[in-house]
Amino acid sequence: MRRRVWFVVALAAASAVFLLPQLWLLSLSLKSKAGVYEYPPRWIPASATLANYAFALTRTQVPWYLWNSAIVASVAAAGTMAVAIPAAYTLSRERFAGRGPLLAALLAVQMISPVVLLVPIYAVVERLGLIDTRAGLMLVYAAMQVPFTVWVLKNFFDAVPRSIFEAARLDGASRARTLWTIVLPIVAPGLGASAVFNLAAYWSEFCLALVLLDSQERFTMPLGLFSFQSAYETDWQLLAAASFIALVPVIAAFVFLQRFFIAGLTSGAVKG
Amino acid sequence: MRRLRCALALAAIAVGAVDAAAQALVTPVRVGRPDAPTTLTVWAQQDYSHLAARPAIAGVFASVFDDWARAHPGVQLRVSVMPALELHKAKLQLAAAAGRLPDVASIDSFWLPLLAADVQPLDDDWPADDRRDFLPFTIQTLTDPAGRILGMWHETDCRVLFYRKDLVGAPPRTWDELLDVASRVARERHMSGYLYNAGRWEATVFDHLAMFWAQGGELVDRTGRPIFGEGANRRAMLRLLAFLRATIDRGASPRSVLGHNDYQQLTGAAIAGDAAMFLGGNWQLKDLQTGLSPADFARWDISPIPTADAGMTSTGTGGWVWVVFARDPARRQAAIEFIRDVEAPAHAARISEATGHLPVRRSVYRDFPIFSQDVWYRRFGDMLASGHARPTAPIYPAISQQLQLAIGAVVAGERSPEQALDAAWSAVLDEYARQTMAKAAPARTGADPIAWLPALAAALFPLGIFWRGRRADAALMPWILPAAALVTIVLVYPMLDLLRLSFTDATVAGRSYQYTTSSYRALVSDPAFYAMIVVTAIFVAGSVVLQLTIGFALAWLIDAARRRRAPGTLAARVAVVSAWVIPGVLTGVLWKILLIENRSGIVNYYLSRAGLGPAPLISSPVLALLSVVVANVWRGCAFSMILLYAGLQRVPRELHEAADLEGVSAWQRLRWLLVPQIAPVLLLNLVLITIASFNTFDLIIPLTGGGPARRTEVISLFMYRLGFYDLEAGRSAAAAVVMLAINLLLAWIAGRLIVRGGVEPQHA
Repeated sequence: MRRRVWFVVALAAASAVFLLPQLWLLSLSLKSKAGVYEYPPRWIPASATLANYAFALTRTQVPWYLWNSAIVASVAAAGTMAVAIPAAYTLSRERFAGRGPLLAALLAVQMISPVVLLVPIYAVVERLGLIDTRAGLMLVYAAMQVPFTVWVLKNFFDAVPRSIFEAARLDGASRARTLWTIVLPIVAPGLGASAVFNLAAYWSEFCLALVLLDSQERFTMPLGLFSFQSAYETDWQLLAAASFIALVPVIAAFVFLQRFFIAGLTSGAVKG
Repeated sequence: MRRLRCALALAAIAVGAVDAAAQALVTPVRVGRPDAPTTLTVWAQQDYSHLAARPAIAGVFASVFDDWARAHPGVQLRVSVMPALELHKAKLQLAAAAGRLPDVASIDSFWLPLLAADVQPLDDDWPADDRRDFLPFTIQTLTDPAGRILGMWHETDCRVLFYRKDLVGAPPRTWDELLDVASRVARERHMSGYLYNAGRWEATVFDHLAMFWAQGGELVDRTGRPIFGEGANRRAMLRLLAFLRATIDRGASPRSVLGHNDYQQLTGAAIAGDAAMFLGGNWQLKDLQTGLSPADFARWDISPIPTADAGMTSTGTGGWVWVVFARDPARRQAAIEFIRDVEAPAHAARISEATGHLPVRRSVYRDFPIFSQDVWYRRFGDMLASGHARPTAPIYPAISQQLQLAIGAVVAGERSPEQALDAAWSAVLDEYARQTMAKAAPARTGADPIAWLPALAAALFPLGIFWRGRRADAALMPWILPAAALVTIVLVYPMLDLLRLSFTDATVAGRSYQYTTSSYRALVSDPAFYAMIVVTAIFVAGSVVLQLTIGFALAWLIDAARRRRAPGTLAARVAVVSAWVIPGVLTGVLWKILLIENRSGIVNYYLSRAGLGPAPLISSPVLALLSVVVANVWRGCAFSMILLYAGLQRVPRELHEAADLEGVSAWQRLRWLLVPQIAPVLLLNLVLITIASFNTFDLIIPLTGGGPARRTEVISLFMYRLGFYDLEAGRSAAAAVVMLAINLLLAWIAGRLIVRGGVEPQHA
């Protein structure tokens, strides 16, 4: 029992380290413009107001940004999973001639950030006629995380005990059926983890969205947030409020998805 | 049935809402009537449309645009707000190369030469008597050699000295007076005597150019050739650099000026009572007024920028310019009518009143009481008489980059003014030689067969996987091919194209280029390249070690707590993850707000209270690098934690139970039970976060901008600057290839370690 208390204390301390900056952001988002510059600084605003949130949600395009980000990130994440799962499974279970080179190539393309590739990627998307479309951004995003996802998933597939596959083979299950009904439930924590990674990466990606989108009505959240900042004078309280609005959906998605990390884990299947 | 009726009712409400929105002429996505036949696209600057994130400005523009829309029922606008400065510039360049420029855009005046081929002259649809109402410098700067006017200046600003009357008394007019009074105040009051921008950004140069121009100095001659390193110009620049060094030596200014890479830090210091004087922009007056009590605000005043000797005067005038790209005559006319309508005197007056910037129309200062009667605006208006804009020469961005480094190095005391200026001068001359050579070289005509090579090589990639394969492998094709095809199109082909680009002298606009190895030669002969490699190595090593250790500790803690059913594990995971899902650019901004070095920064506020500060968290080379690493680790821990936590879940419960029975210590459990079980995940993590750290720049840009001088400029930021600021696609690609080579080497070593260590995942 004593030890449990210590764990709670340790967890609280760790959480505090990671939350203090956001709490300061939260405090800013509830302040008036004059309150932001107050000295000495105050954590709890003298007169808290929700006016910044109301402004961000009704007078700016923040609702559009949220919608765009949600649709782009979820479609792209689904696309990544759809192509990465079969590829990772095959790379994990099968031995074929191009396997080694393919794994190496995936690691190599993972190493270079799309930021460096902006100019050539722009040319590709332009040739496909997808500049300033959500589809163009989804396509690039979906590809961006494929190497990472394949590597992570392959790692999880590798850990599935061989006996399970043998049992499936004896039952006469096809490759697709084995993957779908037996293996995927076992590696659910890995799927959940990769899905969260990918969603978060797409949700916060800035440079590609900046280059590939022209119309404000298609802007994603990071682009929208960036336009809250100006070279001359930024209303920090508004930027903070908009940032918090952007934070809520991802946190919600994480809380929802993280259950799969654990729920998918059937202790019997991983005995090995 | 009932559900259907419900849905119908909802649909009706939705249609009604759309209908109501259609009536409004100014909505977030459209200005004008939705049925208007002509649609103009407008790329606006952040503070200059109805989408501005500042309520007062957004309100004024909504009403100005509404006026315009009523008068022009045949035209509608699609307005997009472009992010600040260099990003907007690079985007315009890419759009120009692809023929996708908007009809109207608002640009910084000194970008004009970059877009010269696409900007349409305004003379035909802009009556001469209206042009005469604009301040002379706005017309002169934007007139091309053929006498055509290429843009309409829409607001300006000027730099002034802000000072506390109660501390300073009469404002200093010369540098010597400034140094005397600032060092006295700093000594007696234990506060900053004089603050200015010396971080890595444009304003560091622009703010100080007034002090150079006032001495009669010029950056470029009429033909656009750089001359700031020659004769009298050189002497003027050296005097300026020596003065900046003296601000530190004499104790007039703190070293923290090296961390100033936005104007808010100056305002913040002033409001926190930590500055007696600062060199700022006229718009900051409004910030002071908002942030200070009336009594405190009354202590502040403005005066012209102090100069080398008495009797000189100058101020830098910046500002934004409307340009028109529409080539079709009817659209061009509509576009010019739109910007003339927005800039009509009555509109311009209301807009400037809201933005706090300075109008550029003489009639506005004369006819509108807020400008003719307000004492501040009258004084700013007078200062504009000695206004000096930055030259619209193609070499200016390079000059600015080099002078930023020179000022940073001198203020930091790393170089003497002579050394710093010589380095900047020779770098600018090299760049100028390259620019003129590129112009003189014959443009490539016709098809470029080499340009097809990357596409061919990329196409071979998915084919190659199954080339030598057996018949049985063919069945695997559909499993692999979708992933391989997607990666080939979006990543492999661009990567090979990047390799090709690295052997060219292409620019981002990419109109003509030569195949050459000059990019690599420029890279290896650049002394900054090697310093950057060292900074990168420290940053990556620090980030990886800390992130992996802390990430593992967190995963372990949460896993152990969960096994003991302690409450709060989900909350802890959410807390860690919340740091990671903030977009990188915002993380940088957030950490800068926390780390600001004057009293308004919260971290330094607590350090001071504890008697430890204020610490130069952004301006000291060592602490700045540490701050960047800490911010990066703070953000990245979640990544390691999630992956390792998922890995720990796979450790069979029986092993834990056995360990519990044995009563092993925590260390033994870690060393003999957990680490061997999750070794593959640990290694994967190591490789991935190394790569991620190499690619980090989004958080560094707002936090330090790579400063002080270049002490936090990591390789990805180096590439990003080459690509986005200097628009050098070829050299940026060469740097990327070098980075790729380093990464591949590291991956190869990691791969060897995995094999040697025998930790390739074992199948039970």
